[in-house]
Amino acid sequence: MELELELGLAPPNHAGSCGKRGTKEAFGIDKAGLPLILRDDDGDHGSNCSDARDWEMSNKKKRLVGWPPVKSAHRPRSNGGHVKVKMEGVPIGRKVDLSRHASYHQLHHTLRLMFPSSTSHHGDPYAVTYEEGDGDWMLVGDVPWEDTVMSAKRLKILLV
Amino acid sequence: MGRGGARDGAAAAPPWHSLPDEVLEHAFSFLPAAADRGAAAAVCHGWLGAERRSRRRLAVANCYAAAPRDAVDRFPSVRAAEVKGKPHFADFGLVPPAWGAEAAPWVAAAADGWPLLEELSFKRMVVTDECLEMIASSFRNFQVLRLVSCEGFSTAGLAAITEGCRNLRELDLQENYIEDCSSHWLSYFPESFTSLETLNFSCLEGEVNFAVLERLVSRCRNLKTLKLNNAIPLDKVASLLRKAPQLVELGTGKFSAEYHSDLFAKLEAAFAGCKSLRRLSGAWDAVPDYLPAFYCVCEGLTSLNLSYATVRGPELIKFISRCKNLQQLWVMDLIEDHGLAVVAGSCSKLQELRVFPSDPFGAGQVLLTERGLVDVSASCPMLESVLYFCGQMTNEALITIAKNRPNFTCFRLCILEPRTPDYVTRESLDAGFSAIVESCKGLRRLSVSGLLTDLVFKSIGANGNCLEMLSIAFAGNSDLGLHYILSGCKTLKKLEIRDCPFGNKPLLANAAKLETMRSLWMSSCSLTLGACRQLAEKMPRLTVEIMNDPGRTCPVESLPDDSPVETLYVYRTIAGPRSDTPDYVQIV
Repeated sequence: MELELELGLAPPNHAGSCGKRGTKEAFGIDKAGLPLILRDDDGDHGSNCSDARDWEMSNKKKRLVGWPPVKSAHRPRSNGGHVKVKMEGVPIGRKVDLSRHASYHQLHHTLRLMFPSSTSHHGDPYAVTYEEGDGDWMLVGDVPWEDTVMSAKRLKILLV
Repeated sequence: MGRGGARDGAAAAPPWHSLPDEVLEHAFSFLPAAADRGAAAAVCHGWLGAERRSRRRLAVANCYAAAPRDAVDRFPSVRAAEVKGKPHFADFGLVPPAWGAEAAPWVAAAADGWPLLEELSFKRMVVTDECLEMIASSFRNFQVLRLVSCEGFSTAGLAAITEGCRNLRELDLQENYIEDCSSHWLSYFPESFTSLETLNFSCLEGEVNFAVLERLVSRCRNLKTLKLNNAIPLDKVASLLRKAPQLVELGTGKFSAEYHSDLFAKLEAAFAGCKSLRRLSGAWDAVPDYLPAFYCVCEGLTSLNLSYATVRGPELIKFISRCKNLQQLWVMDLIEDHGLAVVAGSCSKLQELRVFPSDPFGAGQVLLTERGLVDVSASCPMLESVLYFCGQMTNEALITIAKNRPNFTCFRLCILEPRTPDYVTRESLDAGFSAIVESCKGLRRLSVSGLLTDLVFKSIGANGNCLEMLSIAFAGNSDLGLHYILSGCKTLKKLEIRDCPFGNKPLLANAAKLETMRSLWMSSCSLTLGACRQLAEKMPRLTVEIMNDPGRTCPVESLPDDSPVETLYVYRTIAGPRSDTPDYVQIV
């Protein structure tokens, strides 16, 4: 069974009126994303849920950047957005304001400027990780950007 | 016109076209508006020379529209300059870091050519500590520094300003990203320094030395505006107010504390002494129980900025309802419809309303709907500027609002979910927004949202005769939408578009229009590289900038014409293409 996905106008029962459960909520898709239509080709809706969740995982990075148009100062911040960043092998850490970045790409760009490849890692591949509320270290990029901003307490750049 | 003849008592006045420069310059000094001065300068060469040599205030709306040295050479007597940098959508993260808009070339040119400069204002620009050091050391009568939405500097740079600018009157830092170097910048004001009238450090994240601040406030008897940051505790706010009862504008900082009756009494007494307080703002992690401490100043308030305040409920509404003379209200949607109904009934002098979303990505639990805006528009006859975030809207509501308030000059509606239709009829909101532009003949700024077809743009193009700035997102169905805008809207200056199905044809068909505008931003639309190249070739006085994802850079020359363009930023310039583009920006 194939799920066909396309971007388009939200179907009528799906528009963002307060509190109304639309297609997106039924499938557990995050509300802040683009309104998306799931079409199941052979008309079998019974087993949509798990497929939708898998599909949703792979599309999480298509979250809207810069929407709604509120300045970063107006977005809820846990600790002012600033987190410490340390890089393996570099003695002095930096601080970065996650709330002033709208996406992973922007964060990576800033980190590349803060830790240029001339220091310690000589252009070797690296991974950016963050410490969550409960102390676990997670790879940056798995969850939507906004969730990372809210839950990251500090960052560590590890050489792969 | 040409009244200088009485100067030497001669029987016949000299003809107006041979008036001496000093007379012309004196006459021009009565033209405060830059547009009027520009018009005077266009009359003839004589007036051009007199006007430009005597111009005191210069506003550069796009830092790349002219070269700094050319601006300084052209207007050698400038005392106050304002320069703006990044496009507006940079506020929402759509412009990656290191894009440009460096203030340094402007500061350097000013240091060379405007030694008598008194005021400098930068908005959305990168201002470094070196810039601040240069400002502090280059202008002996420097008085006003205003930085809005800037970045790139630290408290060390601020220390250079406070130490070096002996005649400083205003230090106004609005929503900047300031690195905290723990430098005691406030302490660098000399003990003999008393000229401060405005001090706004509300955006500063770090601590300041309170004793130093208190002494500063005590000795600056002309201090009118004081906006504190979150690091100042509530009881210290009370102490400061007692030292500066003459304040006209106060930013309270965090304003958060557990309720204690003696602290409440202190605050109440402090506010009772502030007879001149007119403008109030603050971060307000406020406990509702403290709001009554403000009651004595409510009646005098003309401006209330609660846009960071999470306080809600009956105390909030009671507080606002006592502000009978309010002209400007910025508040979170926590005020809800019934709160706005109270505002409508109490604040009859309201001119500007902004309602911000408390939970922009959330579940929409807040009870703020179109109802609140309808009520305010019905009962506040002077309301002319609105920014409103909400979850739902109807055409009927918009039509009612348009009928109630034909005097709108600024109408910005943001329905949180893109492409949301009228929730009652399920139709597009074309009719509602059309009513707004048809009714509000003086509308200068408009932001549209919700489900919209090309038809709304036909209306906007035809009726937006004063429209200067238009923001469009997730709207329209075809090229026609953009064509209606660009071929209409005679006075359009800034157009910003995201996520709309607008393509190459209307852009090329209306290329000449773009030179009459300050700038055009189009992101996530349907543009291709070929059209951008054609536009650049056709219009040499425009800079056509292409921006792609910073993660993917490859030289634009190698790409075919049909490559999609993620972001286009076009602006008119007399300076030619800029040379400071980062690797992800290419000028075609």
